[in-house]
Amino acid sequence: MLQLKSLLNCIDNSGAAIVECVMIVGQKRLASIGDRIVVVVQKQRGALAEGMSASTSANKVKRGDIRHAVVVRTRQKVTRRDGSCVRFDDNACVLISKAGDPIGSRINGIVGQELRKKKWSKILSMAPMQA
Amino acid sequence: MNATPLSRRPLGCLKTSLRHVRQQKVLFSRSMATAVAAKAQQKPSPDALPDHNFFRLTDQKTKKLRSAFAVYTPPTALRGPPTPTSKNSKPDKVVPNAPIHGRVSGLVVVPSDPMPLLHAAQIKKMDPTGARTALFAKTRNAARVGDVLMVTHRRGGEPFAGVCLSIRRAGIDTAILLRNHLSKIGVEMWYKIYNRNVAGIEIIKRRARRARRARLTYMRQPKHDMGSVADLVHAWKKTRKVLTTRGAAKAGAKAAAAKAAAAAAKGKK
Repeated sequence: MLQLKSLLNCIDNSGAAIVECVMIVGQKRLASIGDRIVVVVQKQRGALAEGMSASTSANKVKRGDIRHAVVVRTRQKVTRRDGSCVRFDDNACVLISKAGDPIGSRINGIVGQELRKKKWSKILSMAPMQA
Repeated sequence: MNATPLSRRPLGCLKTSLRHVRQQKVLFSRSMATAVAAKAQQKPSPDALPDHNFFRLTDQKTKKLRSAFAVYTPPTALRGPPTPTSKNSKPDKVVPNAPIHGRVSGLVVVPSDPMPLLHAAQIKKMDPTGARTALFAKTRNAARVGDVLMVTHRRGGEPFAGVCLSIRRAGIDTAILLRNHLSKIGVEMWYKIYNRNVAGIEIIKRRARRARRARLTYMRQPKHDMGSVADLVHAWKKTRKVLTTRGAAKAGAKAAAAKAAAAAAKGKK
């Protein structure tokens, strides 16, 4: 249940740590697992202090960048077809390019199985686990 | 009702049309009119059908009932709000074409509360052995809130283990909430216990003492969080020697059935 201004964890190694949702792609009001959103990078990974912007060794994105992303975990319950539900403890996403390819090369953390239904097979294959 | 004979009545020829009418008069007085008139006399109670639902056509000269028809509503609509008898747990009764509280009805079964019967029927269908019902019954040996449970899926994939935070008892919709940590992220899953995709539910570890809450939602807080139950599952698997048996891994679909049976045995124990 992600909307404008929602903050998400970014769980790939693109360099973003926390991103903010600014738009949901498609005719949607609320984003769930597998939905594509537009985000602004709010916090960089490895940025120790406020003014340190030189620590962009491996970071492919930096603070203030506008990127597309795919939601992979939500705190809101997601019901499956057989009646079972899944709920995670945080909201998380993976940054992608406009073409749909992941920006990072690795994902650390579990992702929801709904990605399979939404045809995000690249992200699924990168993820260590799925639930 | 008599639309077709009316339409076929020859208009130009007076003699034939009169004969036609005479024949029809006999017919009507015998069958339709009398039958409906009898029914109309039956409904003097105030709760009966509203009068506007009953349409009668009287003959102009003889002032007799020439024809009539009634618009019936279905019995469910007729019954309207639940009658006081339905609230009591009285046995179901079959009402053969008699007025229920002054209302005309056909042969209908009026169950006191149909939902428990429906749930029982569905549970019997989905759980013929009764193992799943026994596993979550309110008995001493059943699984309870606070136990660590493992759910095996028939569709393959990793079995999901976690501490049971709550049991939602709702007939066929009975479900359990399991919580675990996977790659340091808390994951909660609701599973319907009568789901066919759920091949088996096993008790990994029982809680030492009975939980004093029905829903352990406080276990989501970092202070009370159990963390990952992977080590518990591992220890349980070692005791069960699941990892050492090779035949079970090869059996494939049969393994799932065996697990269900194991769960059943555990539930009955």
